[in-house]
Amino acid sequence: MPIVNRIADFHPDLTEWRRDLHAHPELGYEEHRTSGIVAQKLAEFGIEVHRGLGKTGVVGTLKGNHPGDRAIAIRADMDALPMSEANDFAHASRNPGKMHACGHDGHTTMLLGAARYLAETKNFAGTVHFVFQPAEEGGAGGEAMVKDGLFEKFPADEVYGMHNMPGLPFGAIAGRVGAMMAATDRVDIHVRGKGGHAAQPHKTVDPVVIGAQIVTALQTIASRTADPIDSLVISITEFHAGSAYNVIADEAVLRGTIRTFDPGLRKTAEQSIRAIAGGIAAAMGGSAEITYYTGYPAARNHADQLGKALAVAADLVGADKVIGDVEPTMGGEDFAYMLEAKPGAYVLIGTGPEIEGGKLHQVNYDFDDELLPIGASYWAQLVETLLAR
Amino acid sequence: MPITNRIADFHADLTAWRQDLHEHPELAFEEHRTSGIVAQKLAEFGIEVHRGLAGTGVVGTLKGSQPGDRAIALRADMDALPMQEANGFAHASKHAGKMHACGHDGHTTMLLGAARYLAETRNFAGTVHFVFQPAEESGGGGEVMVRDGLFEKFPVDEVYGMHNSPGMPVGEFGGRAGPMMAATDEFDITVTGRGGHAAQPHKAIDPVVIAAQIVTALQTITSRTADPIDSLVVSVTQFHAGSAYNVIADAAVLRGTVRSFDPPLRIEAEAALRRISAGIAEAMGGKAEIVWTKGYPSTRNHAAQLDKALAVATKVAGPRNVHADVPPVMGGEDFAYMLEAKPGAYIVIGAGPSGGGRNLHQVHYDFNDEILPLGASYWAQLVETVLAKD
Repeated sequence: MPIVNRIADFHPDLTEWRRDLHAHPELGYEEHRTSGIVAQKLAEFGIEVHRGLGKTGVVGTLKGNHPGDRAIAIRADMDALPMSEANDFAHASRNPGKMHACGHDGHTTMLLGAARYLAETKNFAGTVHFVFQPAEEGGAGGEAMVKDGLFEKFPADEVYGMHNMPGLPFGAIAGRVGAMMAATDRVDIHVRGKGGHAAQPHKTVDPVVIGAQIVTALQTIASRTADPIDSLVISITEFHAGSAYNVIADEAVLRGTIRTFDPGLRKTAEQSIRAIAGGIAAAMGGSAEITYYTGYPAARNHADQLGKALAVAADLVGADKVIGDVEPTMGGEDFAYMLEAKPGAYVLIGTGPEIEGGKLHQVNYDFDDELLPIGASYWAQLVETLLAR
Repeated sequence: MPITNRIADFHADLTAWRQDLHEHPELAFEEHRTSGIVAQKLAEFGIEVHRGLAGTGVVGTLKGSQPGDRAIALRADMDALPMQEANGFAHASKHAGKMHACGHDGHTTMLLGAARYLAETRNFAGTVHFVFQPAEESGGGGEVMVRDGLFEKFPVDEVYGMHNSPGMPVGEFGGRAGPMMAATDEFDITVTGRGGHAAQPHKAIDPVVIAAQIVTALQTITSRTADPIDSLVVSVTQFHAGSAYNVIADAAVLRGTVRSFDPPLRIEAEAALRRISAGIAEAMGGKAEIVWTKGYPSTRNHAAQLDKALAVATKVAGPRNVHADVPPVMGGEDFAYMLEAKPGAYIVIGAGPSGGGRNLHQVHYDFNDEILPLGASYWAQLVETVLAKD
C-alpha cells in the first residue's frame, strides 16, 4: 500500500496550498489568515468545522460511512517563527520577521490533504477529528486547546501527531516507545548580595561569588541527584553581573533551562535547584529569588498506539524505512499535552540529509513539498486502519 | 614652631591662587593653564623652572643659602576629575564636566606657597626640587615623569608627598610606615568553550560552568596562596555570558580588580590568577585568555623618611594631632612610582568634615582653604629640617 493514488493526483494542489501558507507566516495565536484558510477548506470538503479553541485553533469533525463509537484525533500545528527568512524563491515569506522555519506550513497542508481525501471517501467507521493547533513554538497552543475542552467537546480514544525531521532519510517514519521529546522548563535565579567598592570586599556580600558557587553546585543535580539511568540537562545559559572593574554589584542574574523525560525527576530537579540556590545564597549571607517556569511536559509515546502508527508507516513506506527506536531528543514539543490527556503516538517523517542553514529553525529552511503526499497518505491510512470498517 | 609666620601673612594670596585653580580645572595631561601658572609663579619667586616632563609636568629647582650635596623632592599633583561640580559658590568650576574634586588645586597651592617662602628665605643647605605632576587620577603621570628621567635630571636623596583627607580634623596629620595605599591591577578573563543548544550539553563546552569554577577557585588566592598576614583583594566584579535560555554561549567574560600591598604577593597573585584560570579552562576542554592590566604599585612609606615627616608635622600641628598608625586603604595613588624610585614618605593632612557629599571625588567637595598655610608650613619646615644648615 504505497501512496494513496487519489492524494498523488492532487499533489499540485497541496504544493500550492503549502507555498501559500509559507508565503504568509503568522506567529503563535495570530494565525488568523491560516486558520481562516483551514476552516474554509474543511468546510469546502464537507467537514463540520469548529473554531475558537485555543483562540485560533480549528477542529474539523468527519464521520465515516460506517457508524462506530470509536474516535481518533489527528493533529497539525499552524504557527510560524519570529525569524527573517533568507530564501529568495517566489513563495518566501512576505511578512518581515516571520518565517515558516519549522515546517508547520507542511504539517497543516498534509492534514488538509488527508481531510480532503477522507471527506471524499469516508472509508472508515466512527469519527475522526482534524485538530489544527496554534502556537506550538513556545506558546503552548496544544495545552490551551486541551484546557479549552478539546477532548470534552471532541471525545477521542487516541491522538496522533507528526513532525518533519531533517537528518532522517527522505520518507522514513520514526518513533519510539516512551519519551520522544523532553520536558522543557526555565529558571531565573536572582542572587542578591550587597554591593560596594571592589577594594572593600569585607563590607559587601559578593553576588558573583555566590552565583558562581550556585552554577558549580547545580552540576551535581545531574551527576549526584538523578538516577544515572535517567536523562537530565540543567544548563545555566546566562550569567549577568556587574558593569565596572572596581564596583561589586548588588545582584547577579542566572538563567537557564531544565530538560527531563521522567516526571518524578522533573520535580526533583526543580526542588534541588531551589534548595541549592537558596541554600548557598543564604549560607554566604545573600539571598536567591528563584522563578521556575514550568514549560512543556515530556512528549511520551504510548506503546500500543506507536505500534499501530508504525505498522501503518511500514505499509506505506516499507518496513526498511521505519525506525522504531529513534533516539529521543532533549528538545520540547507541546503535543506532549495531548499525549498526557489521551493515549497516542508522535512520529517523525524524514526529509533527507541535513543541510547547514536548512535545518529546523534556520533561515534557509523550506518544507520539502515532495513529502506532502507521503504525509497525507500516512494520515489517511492511519484513519482507515484504526477506524477500519 | 607652629605655622610659619611669613606663610600665614600671605594666606590671602594662597586662597586666591587656590580658588583660581579650582575655577579652571584641567584633566590628566591637559594641565596647560595650570602648569603655565605654576611655572610663571616659580619663575617670579626666582626659582629655576623646567617644563615638559610627562608633557605638562613642571619642576622648580631651588638651592639653599648654604651649599650642600643633599637634595630632596616635594611633589604635588595638578589634575582634576571628569565630573560635574554641584557647588554654587563663585569659584566653582567654569569647565563643564571637569572638577577639582580631589583637592589637587590645594596640593598645588600649598607647594607653591612653600616655594615662595623658601625662595625668599633659603634657610637650608643643598637643593630642593618642587615637582608638579600631571595625571594622578588616571594615566599615571607620576610614572611618566619618572620614566622621562625625573630623578636623573633632578637627582634627589628623598621624595615626599601629601594628600588632604576629609574626615580627619583640620590641624591633624597622619601616616604609617610601610604600605599606605594598594597596588591596583585589573584583569579580563575571556573563557572560550564551544556554544550549542542548551538541550545538547554533550556537544558543547559550557563556558558558564568553566567561568563559575574559575570564580570559585580564584577565592583561594586570598585564602590559601597569600600569607594570612598580608592583605590581598581579588574581586571578580563582572560576569557576562549568554543571551537566551536555550543557547549555550561560546564564551564568558570575567573582569575584576586585584589589590595588594606586598610587591611579591602582587606578582604571585597575577601568576596564580593566570594559572588557575588557564588550568581550569583547559581541564574542562576550553581555554582562557587572560589580559592583566598593571596599575599603580602600592604606595609604601620608608620608615626613616616617615619618621622625619611626622616629626616635622608634630612641630607644625602639635604632638596630639599627628597619627603615626593610620590604617592603610586598598585604593591606589601614583606617588607610588616615586616611592619605588626613591626613599620617601606620603602623609595625609586633615581637611575637616566630609559629610553632605563633601568627601573626595564627590560633587560638593571643595578643598578647605583653612589648611593652606598648614600644608605650606609643613613643606617649608620639612625642607628646613631635612636639609638643615650646619
